[in-house]
Amino acid sequence: MQGNVASAEGALAAGCRFFGGYPITPSTEVAERMASRMPKAGGVFVQMEDEIASIAAVIGASWTGKKAMTATSGPGFSLMMENLGFAVMTETPLVVVNIQRGGPSTGQPTMSAQGDMLQCRYGSHGDIGIVALAPNSVQEMHDLTVKAFNLAERLRCPAFLMADEHIGHMRERIDLPDTVEVVDRTQLEPGTLPFAAGPGLVPGFPTFGKGHRVHVTGLTHDERGYPATTDPEVHAALVERLVRKVEGARREIADYVVTNPDAEVVFVCYGAPSRAVAQLVADKPDEGIGVLRLRLVWPFPEHALAEFSNATAFIVPEQNLGQIASEVERHTDLPVVPVPKLGGELHTPAELARVYEGVRR
Amino acid sequence: MKLAIDERRCKGCNLCTQVCPYHIFRPGTAANRKGVLVPELDRPERCTNCRLRNLYGRTLCGVCQLTCPDQAIHWQSERPYEPVRIEVEY
Amino acid sequence: MSFEDWLRADRLPHIWCSGCSNGTILNCTMAAVDMMDWDPDRTVVVSGIGCSSRAAGYVEADSLHTTHGRALAFATGVKLAEPSLNVVVFTGDGDLAAIGGNHFIHACRRNIDLTVVCMNNLIYGMTGGQGSPTTPLGALSTTTPYGAAEPAFDLAALAVAAGANYVARWTSYHVRELEKAVKAGLETPGLSFIEVRAGCPTNYGRKNRIREATDQLEQFRTRSMLKVKYDRLVAEGKPVPHDAIVVGEFVRRSNPAMGVAP
Repeated sequence: MQGNVASAEGALAAGCRFFGGYPITPSTEVAERMASRMPKAGGVFVQMEDEIASIAAVIGASWTGKKAMTATSGPGFSLMMENLGFAVMTETPLVVVNIQRGGPSTGQPTMSAQGDMLQCRYGSHGDIGIVALAPNSVQEMHDLTVKAFNLAERLRCPAFLMADEHIGHMRERIDLPDTVEVVDRTQLEPGTLPFAAGPGLVPGFPTFGKGHRVHVTGLTHDERGYPATTDPEVHAALVERLVRKVEGARREIADYVVTNPDAEVVFVCYGAPSRAVAQLVADKPDEGIGVLRLRLVWPFPEHALAEFSNATAFIVPEQNLGQIASEVERHTDLPVVPVPKLGGELHTPAELARVYEGVRR
Repeated sequence: MKLAIDERRCKGCNLCTQVCPYHIFRPGTAANRKGVLVPELDRPERCTNCRLRNLYGRTLCGVCQLTCPDQAIHWQSERPYEPVRIEVEY
Repeated sequence: MSFEDWLRADRLPHIWCSGCSNGTILNCTMAAVDMMDWDPDRTVVVSGIGCSSRAAGYVEADSLHTTHGRALAFATGVKLAEPSLNVVVFTGDGDLAAIGGNHFIHACRRNIDLTVVCMNNLIYGMTGGQGSPTTPLGALSTTTPYGAAEPAFDLAALAVAAGANYVARWTSYHVRELEKAVKAGLETPGLSFIEVRAGCPTNYGRKNRIREATDQLEQFRTRSMLKVKYDRLVAEGKPVPHDAIVVGEFVRRSNPAMGVAP
C-alpha cells in the first residue's frame, strides 16, 4: 500500500467522516482515496476551490461534530495558515496531512523535503499550540494518522501529520488492524460555559445543532464565547490557555523511539531521514550508535534528550537547513550537529557515517 | 397595544421618523443621558398596530420596528385595557 | 415568536453606528427566519469579517464568526457535513466580492443549500471607509480620494451567472419586500443570494454627500427601480437613469443543488 493511501485508511479507521481538499502534488492520493472511500463510509468528500476553502470547510464540518481532515503540501499549507490560527483560537479539532515537498514557493513538487516543520508550529500569526507527528513508514502513515485524530479530539487543536514525499509515495506491506483505539471529543456539559477550561484546560465541545446556541468567533472571546477584544486580561488568559493545554501535555503525549540509550553520539531524527539512520545503525551494530527517533515532533519532547545520559553530541539529519536541529540546540548544552540535505534526495547511510565518524573523533 | 422606544438601544438615527406612514415619530429635541436625541412620539395611539393588533391577532404594518436598526421599537401590552377615543386623519 | 426572539438580548445594543442599515437587514432576515418556524437549536448562522459579519454574534442560534472572506467556505463545510441544519450566511461587499470572490462563485456553482444575505454598503466600513469592489465609479472613499476609478461588481448578476437558484436585490428601505425575498430564499433549495443595498452614514455617506441616514433611505426610495420596469425600459431601448438601483427578483429556478436536507 502507498503511504498516502495508508493515511486515508487510517483517517477512516479513526472515524474521519469529512474530507475537504484540493489537488496538490505529492499529497493528491490522499484526496483520491478519500473520494472513492468516503461515500461508502457514510461520510462526505468535497473538492473545494482552493486550500483556504478546504481548511475552512473542514473547520465548519468539525463544528457539526464530524471528524474532519484535509491533505496538502507546502504551497497549500501556506494558504491554510490563517484559518489554522482560527482553528486554534476556536479550539476546533481537525487533522491536516502535509506531504512535504521542496520549497520555498512552488519549489520541487515531486521531491521530498521537511521544510515546513517550523511553519506548522509557528506559521500562523499569534501564539498557537498545535500537535505534529512525523511518520517514517507506510505503517506509520496509517497509525500516526489515527493518533493525530485522537490527539486533535482530545486537545481540541489542529494536529498535523508532517510526512514527506518519500514516505507519502513509498509502497510497503502494512497491517491494517480490524479496530483502532479511537478518542472522541468530550461534549460540553449543559450548564457549563462553552469556552471555560475543563479537564486539562480543554473545554467540552458545544456541537452545532445540539441546542448550545454557542457563538464561535476568531476574535478574542470570553468563556461564553462572546467577543472581548479590548480586555487585556481576557486575551492573555485565553491565549495562555490555548498554548498551555497543548504544551502542558508534552510529557504525556510524547512519542519517540530510543535506541542505544548508553550511546555517546546520538542521532535525533524523524520522518524519512530516520530510515537512513536505521540503516547506519544496522550497518555498524558494534558501534552502539544512539538514536532518538521522534514520532511526535511538536510539542517537542525535550526530556527525551535526557534519556541519553552519556551523550556527548547530537547529530540531526533533516531534509531542511536545520529546523529541528535548532530546537534541539535550545534544550541542550552539548554540541548539536545539523546534517541538512536539500534537493529531495535522502541522506545516504554513507554520508551519515562520515558525519558520525567526524563527531565521534 | 402601546408603542414604545427603548432609550437604552436607540441611537437617534431618525429612520423611524421617515418610514412611519402616520408620522408618529418626530425627531427628538432633548439629548438623553447618552447624548442621543431619541425621537418623540406624536399621538402614538394612531398607530395601526396599536389599534388593531389584538383584533387581527398579528402584526399590522410594523415597518418602524423592522426598519429600526437598533431594535429599539416595540409594542407593550396595555393592561387593563383602556378604551381611548382617537381620530384617524385621512 | 418574532424576530426579536431570535436576537441575543444580552448582546444588544449592537456595535453598529447610528443609522447603519445592518440592523434593519438583520431584523428583516430574522423575521423571515421566524416565519419559517425553524428550530433555533437546528439553525446555524455563519459570517466572515466586517461590519456585516458581526450580525452572526447577535443571533440566538449556533453562530460561526469566521475569517475574512471565507464565510461561504465554512458554511459549505457545515451544510455538507450536516444537511439537516438550517444555515444562513451574513456577509458584506468586501467580504463576499473581494477577498471571498472565489468562494462566492463556487458556492453559487455548487448551488449549496444556503441562504446568503449580503449587506452591500459600497464600502469597507469596519476599517474606516476604504473603497470596495462595489464602490460606484466616482464615489469617494479613503482609498479613492479622487473618486473610484474601477468599475463596480453587480453582485446579483454575478450570482445569477454563477448558478445560484434564487437571487434578489432590495435595499434597506424595502423592509417588507426584503423580508419576503429572504423567506423565498430560505424556502428555495440550493443557494439563495439576497443582495441588500445598505447605507453607511459614517463612512460612505459622510464622504458622498449623504450625511444623514434618512437621506440615504430617501435615495434608496427614489432611485430604486423594479427589475421588471428596468427590463422593459431596456427592451424598449429607452434610457435608464445611470444611478438607478435595480431591485426585485433576478432569478428563481430549481437547478440541481447540494447539501439539501433529505
